[in-house]
Amino acid sequence: MSTEPRVASAVAGQPASFPTVLAHTPDTTGKFFDLYAEFWQRGVASLTVKEMTRMRNARVTDCAF
Amino acid sequence: MTWLTADREDASLDDLLAHRPELQVKYRAFYGSIREAGLVPPRLLEICRLRMAAIHDCEAEWSQRDAEVELTEAELAALRRGELKGFAPAEQAALVVTERLPYQHHELTDAEVASLKFRLGDAGCVSLINALVLFDVNCRLKLAFDLKQ
Repeated sequence: MSTEPRVASAVAGQPASFPTVLAHTPDTTGKFFDLYAEFWQRGVASLTVKEMTRMRNARVTDCAF
Repeated sequence: MTWLTADREDASLDDLLAHRPELQVKYRAFYGSIREAGLVPPRLLEICRLRMAAIHDCEAEWSQRDAEVELTEAELAALRRGELKGFAPAEQAALVVTERLPYQHHELTDAEVASLKFRLGDAGCVSLINALVLFDVNCRLKLAFDLKQ
């Protein structure tokens, strides 16, 4: 695992982060966040279940971020 | 038999997503935007998608083909086996990252990402990794729901 961002920020003056690196592909990124919002804001699964599975997935994949 | 669409033996991922029409539309839009962005050549996307299908042993994904991309039987066999040496350098760089993402994501090295960036640029690198993540998800969904296509 790298200790430094492997791809620079696409947003001037802002450090590399999940959204600023994805900003290299703005159209795709916009559609990703549309999809992600759909997951969170609608559907029959409760927010509690979604958050529990998100956190468990982060553990399983060993993603501290 | 497919888990959520028992009335259709040949249900596809798109049929499955139709249980949540708004999600289906946004999933399609996200998937389509990677191709539309044009940052990664269609052949490169296709060989990475097929390699991902082979890694997951996902026949439903492997059986799909991009009609615009012609691959030889030897290339298909190499993708099945994970043999990279017959592919162009940019393709090998992309296939190395493909190999890492599903089960070895912590073993992905700075040099492997740098190699990809050297050949595709920052935007191409981000676009390809977005695609790889979607290919991975597609395989997982198809396997989890036992979809045939």
